[in-house]
Amino acid sequence: MHDVVMVGAGPAALTAAIYTTREDIDTLLVEKGVVGGLAAVTDVIDNYPGFSKGVHGLELAESLREQAERFGAKIELGEVSGVHDEGELKRLETTSGDILAKAVLITTGCDYKKTGVSGEEEYYARGVHFCATCDGAFYRDKRLVVIGGGNSALQESIFLTRYATHIDLLVRSNIKASDVLQKEIQPYLDNGKITVHLGVTPKEIVGDDNGVTKVIGTSSDGKDIDFNTDGVFIFIGLKPNTAFLKNSKVKLNEQGFVITDNNLETNVKGIFAAGDVRSGATMQIASASGEGATAALKIREYLEGRLHNPKVEQLEVTP
Amino acid sequence: MVKNITIFTSDTCGYCQMVKTYLKAKGIGYKEVNLDHEPERRAEAHKLSGVLTVPVTVVTKTDDSQEVIVGYNLAKLAPAVN
Ligand SMILES: Cc1cc2nc3c(=O)[nH]c(=O)nc-3n(C[C@H](O)[C@H](O)[C@H](O)COP(=O)(O)OP(=O)(O)OC[C@H]3O[C@@H](n4cnc5c(N)ncnc54)[C@H](O)[C@@H]3O)c2cc1C
Repeated sequence: MHDVVMVGAGPAALTAAIYTTREDIDTLLVEKGVVGGLAAVTDVIDNYPGFSKGVHGLELAESLREQAERFGAKIELGEVSGVHDEGELKRLETTSGDILAKAVLITTGCDYKKTGVSGEEEYYARGVHFCATCDGAFYRDKRLVVIGGGNSALQESIFLTRYATHIDLLVRSNIKASDVLQKEIQPYLDNGKITVHLGVTPKEIVGDDNGVTKVIGTSSDGKDIDFNTDGVFIFIGLKPNTAFLKNSKVKLNEQGFVITDNNLETNVKGIFAAGDVRSGATMQIASASGEGATAALKIREYLEGRLHNPKVEQLEVTP
Repeated sequence: MVKNITIFTSDTCGYCQMVKTYLKAKGIGYKEVNLDHEPERRAEAHKLSGVLTVPVTVVTKTDDSQEVIVGYNLAKLAPAVN
């Protein structure tokens, strides 16, 4: 049995683990993918404080992991498929058996949304991709289509210019990315490396035995347009990783994000949530880390029986 | 029995790092082919795996049979290398 089990090992959980383990709270993180979460599959992070020249996502993830492990956090590779509230104890179903914990922190973040268009499933990883830092290297000197108009779509398009000869960026309505990214992408629009097509919705991804050959898009006036390409990268937003909570008592909002109170506690006592998976999260590494730190301190109060007892003295933070 | 292991990777791929970390933790040696540094070997990775993604881990057994694992997939990687 552990004092706290964290589901996922992205920036929110790793930061929380640094705090809990420094307080001698026995902490286990269960991670099904990459330690470091989405931060580990992002090329360069320019807005995480303390790195004046930016930091590679992999490097930040590795340092967070080392820091958490230095204080005694244990990271187990596996997937959590259910969380059950058994009063004082919580039981987590995982790929390597059941784990008991006094408290649980849900930090499972989000995953990429799919378009649902024909060809997307069929050509997955054979021309249809969701991770530029993983699969971009296969598109050296090739043409690409990127679908999406938010921060990720612009950031990843810029990354992919290091490989691709040309990128068609298909945007359903208007660009919704930050001003900073819109400024960053401008030189690539000026030199013709990226062409933005506003008001184009993907209709079909077409290919042959060798992979993808074109994307058919529909313009706002209903006309079909062919975009010849060697591959498609899709960044149309994120959906929370909360399917494993389906049979739990934890309340989710309409989009499936976990609802918490100001203590980052869910409606189930002893089950907390932090980072991108939480309803109201601002989807940034700095905020995920901040929420991780807050959740850790609230978990400490919970384990000490102080969180639900307002009469007890205020929290003391170890410097 | 495993004869040798080759991992196709890229500079920026987080899942590649996970495969390498896993093998290192188990004390298992491997050869790395980084497609950012050896782009001419992309076709080889594609032919072996059938997909355009890394990591691709090729486990060659002592009888020269090969097992190819795409992505960071512990359920397949662990039995293949242990
Ligand atoms: C393309 C892209 C670029 C970005 N660039 C920036 C940037 O420049 N700056 C910035 O601040 N933010 C950026 N972000 C956002 C940032 O990556 C996230 O805000 C941050 O990673 C959230 O951290 P987290 O710990 O909440 O979740 P995540 O990083 O998503 O980590 C969650 C972890 O939980 C694991 N998990 C999920 N379900 C389970 C389960 N059932 N069992 C076990 N493990 C599970 C996942 O595998 C994952 O590793 C970017 C995001 C994307 C997609």
